[in-house]
Amino acid sequence: MVTIAVLLKQVPDTTARITVSDGRVDETAISTWVTSPYDEYALEVAIQHKEASGASITAITLGPPRADKVLKDAAALGVENLVRVWDDAWESLDSNQVQAALSTILEGVGADWIYCGKQSADRNQGSTGPGVAERLGMACIVEISDWDVTGAQPSFTRATSSGNERLAPTPPIVLTFTKTETELRRPNVRGIMAAKKANIEVVGADIGDAQVQVVAHNPPPQKPEGRKFEGAESVPEVVGLLRNEAKVI
Amino acid sequence: MTYEGVDFYDIESELTDEEKMVRDMARDWVEAEVVPNIEQACRDGVFPDEWRVALGEMGVLGMALDGYGCAGMSYVAYGLVCQELERGDSGVRSFASVQGSLAMYPIHDFGSEEQKQKYLPKMASGEWVGCFGLTEPDYGSNPGDMITKAVDEGDDYVLNGAKMWITNGTIADVAIVWAKLDGVIRGFIVEKDDPGFSAPEMTGKYSLRASVTSELVFQDCKIPKDRILPHVEGLKGPFSCLNNARYGICWGAVGAAQSCFHSSKEYALSRIQFGNPIAAFQLVQNKLAWMLREITKGQLLALSLGRKKDAGTWTPEQISLAKMNNVDMALEIARMARDIHGANGILDEYPIMRHMANLESVKTYEGTHDIHNLILGRHITGIQSFTREL
Repeated sequence: MVTIAVLLKQVPDTTARITVSDGRVDETAISTWVTSPYDEYALEVAIQHKEASGASITAITLGPPRADKVLKDAAALGVENLVRVWDDAWESLDSNQVQAALSTILEGVGADWIYCGKQSADRNQGSTGPGVAERLGMACIVEISDWDVTGAQPSFTRATSSGNERLAPTPPIVLTFTKTETELRRPNVRGIMAAKKANIEVVGADIGDAQVQVVAHNPPPQKPEGRKFEGAESVPEVVGLLRNEAKVI
Repeated sequence: MTYEGVDFYDIESELTDEEKMVRDMARDWVEAEVVPNIEQACRDGVFPDEWRVALGEMGVLGMALDGYGCAGMSYVAYGLVCQELERGDSGVRSFASVQGSLAMYPIHDFGSEEQKQKYLPKMASGEWVGCFGLTEPDYGSNPGDMITKAVDEGDDYVLNGAKMWITNGTIADVAIVWAKLDGVIRGFIVEKDDPGFSAPEMTGKYSLRASVTSELVFQDCKIPKDRILPHVEGLKGPFSCLNNARYGICWGAVGAAQSCFHSSKEYALSRIQFGNPIAAFQLVQNKLAWMLREITKGQLLALSLGRKKDAGTWTPEQISLAKMNNVDMALEIARMARDIHGANGILDEYPIMRHMANLESVKTYEGTHDIHNLILGRHITGIQSFTREL
């Protein structure tokens, strides 16, 4: 049977208000956590691939217990196997450690197709897909924007500087996805009821020592206060500022 | 900004993961499909058919029933769905209420095994639409005196009479019709193509415009004998359906109120008068605080009632209180929101007037506000005041 693994990261909602306290992002102040949007595209492709091939899907996330939600959300869409990688001693893992943890699990799963987003919505490093592929000795195709997983030979399309290229990979392989027009489907009530009974396997991994230490998080600089112009007589001044200062026209 | 709802008393912590997931599913759908399209649907006076399909695909139709394609979720989960649907529009929640509580529920609880197998899976998926015929032109709050009757004619029952104010009637494939057989109220399943049955749409509504409202007309309407609901007699049948629908309304009204509250808050913070946002004025803050107060009370009432329903301990009087209170507060909040929005409040750029007009109907359907007061009055005093000799 074809096996698919999809890597899902839990991130703050993209509209969540992020506060920094004592030089660190205050995670307790984040009210809504979601699946990283690029990972959602990967999950949708995985589900379509499953529907076409009868594959089984294993969803893997790395994170504390709150990250179970992304796995339950995936289960509500029909994902059978759920794995969360975590050790309570872990804190602020660097990219090497993340890749080590995920690769360890993926070796055990033995997936033919490994899908993930091109980058996470919080760290935006874009290192997980290629890094995992390197560790597993697999090729990697990044920033896929279209796909056809209905036939025996799935194909994937990505944008290049000279147009699009359509690729037909031989598994096992790692594929990362960018924004596409096909959004992740919604669950339904029956799927949510099934997810209620889904079992999440929690495992640890040997990830070695961190090479990168976070010194401090700093909030982005506050936007300068807006300027207000009134009356038709201010139009030339506004146009001049847009052209010469903001350089948008 | 992702819509998060009002949660001043951390109701989120009282919900199970599944209840939150179902609520979020409905919320996302309403945000993506209903909110951008509802004003046009109201102008056109239609319930978009794709919403029927979507509600079926999401599995929210009859979602608290067990088996036969239904999910068997908690009534709290069902209530949360009603809240989100009515945040979009009362017409959307009405569609789901009628399908699940008024049409599927009586088949599920009072129907034969064959009836359940024939109708429920297709109604749960939204393939078949159901409606509920109790109210008549001359008998609304007093359904016990209904005129519609059924006559046993050997292999068939023959129905004669008319029902009015029937949500989904014209688009329904299946109608649950309450009629007197030998003087006893019984439930019958009428199918859209049955001879002698018609369901003309009622037009000219200023309220619930994105909802189909119809008459049901029976002129020697002949239905097979196996279409009677075998396991219920008397007003207990329709009243138990209405209890479930009223429960959905008490959550739905909270959704409509939240929509008006959010619009009011955003408007008050952005509308500048006398050099300040009107949200800075004490009179406006007083209104917003009142809205928050009433919505929070309504939420706690709905949640408490839902937990009682799931535990099997609710009473009809508790349902009356919740339905009456929550619709009343939602309507008052809609009127207050109109006031905060000033002239802009009458435009369909904002959801206010639509919710207000809808809630005027919700206040008097599924038991009028006054009748619910009389139910409570009877509970308090032990004296029923519905009928008296004058």
